[in-house]
Amino acid sequence: MSKKQDIIEVDPEFGVYSKYKSTKEKKQDAVALMQERLARMKHLPREQVIRAKLLQLKLQMEKYLKDPFFNNQKHFTHFVETYVDAIYSKRNDFANDINVTPVFLSKVINSHIEPTEEFILKLMIHSEKNFKKLGEFHNKIWYQIYFHEKLCKTMSNQNNWRPKIEKQVKHSEMIDI
Amino acid sequence: MTIIEASTGEIYPVEVLLVENEDYKSLTKSRYFFNWKLENKWEVYKLVIKGKRDILGLVSIERIPSEWRIHIRVLTVSIENKGKTKLFKNITGNLITHVAKIAVSEFGQLACISLRPKSSIAQHYIDKYKMNITGMTLSLEVPEIINLINQYDHE
Repeated sequence: MSKKQDIIEVDPEFGVYSKYKSTKEKKQDAVALMQERLARMKHLPREQVIRAKLLQLKLQMEKYLKDPFFNNQKHFTHFVETYVDAIYSKRNDFANDINVTPVFLSKVINSHIEPTEEFILKLMIHSEKNFKKLGEFHNKIWYQIYFHEKLCKTMSNQNNWRPKIEKQVKHSEMIDI
Repeated sequence: MTIIEASTGEIYPVEVLLVENEDYKSLTKSRYFFNWKLENKWEVYKLVIKGKRDILGLVSIERIPSEWRIHIRVLTVSIENKGKTKLFKNITGNLITHVAKIAVSEFGQLACISLRPKSSIAQHYIDKYKMNITGMTLSLEVPEIINLINQYDHE
């Protein structure tokens, strides 16, 4: 091993070199590690599992907002569903907590109806407290997701609306730039 | 995520981005300790101060979805950021946190990151990042992986 690799190996401030030397070593490590991990997971408190699920949701929501690609998929309702199911074993309990009917909640989650503004506001307030313990969380993210999805849907469907709309737009004052 | 200038205590926001092909020209062994070109078929990330191009640290990872795990293959800071005379603190912590975020985003409560440092430096990672030890492998799972992300991931 080179001198510089030696320096790194003995000084953690430089970093770490931890490639597996062989496939056999990798497999042996994997088996031993998984056994230990499964044993630890069995004793993981419910609160920590919920904490992990909410952090996963938060990271996925942030990633979606940064995604430069437009698609026609339903993200807002998926994230709402994930949020509710992470915390509650029964969705009716969540509906009760935010003072909506279970039927309304079901219709929103299944995209049968649009969420009302009041619903999004209640979602914001409900999630504020839960996400507070997970570091930085802006409750506006629910609104951002909702409108970002609208934007993505519109932009991904340009072939459908653009030809018709373009015909209705004139430029009586052309700007010569 | 932020790093701290060691001499002044000033805080700088950073971002961790995928290394681009043209970056490899500047990733010399003299500055970054390894031949990083050997890692170019893996997923390699660079840490930079927001708005700047200079690479302060690198990490190469291998995703192992069947085990809900991401293994850190190689991680280094740049030579000016080594030891007691380092320019910036928290580069390594931020790189490990970035990998932790990928793992949690992908695998949720099953997320795990791992590395295999030499035994002489393993204790540093156990003490500083609260890693678990299994044979030669150090790993981070829930809840410590969440605590690490909360510690480093702030605006």
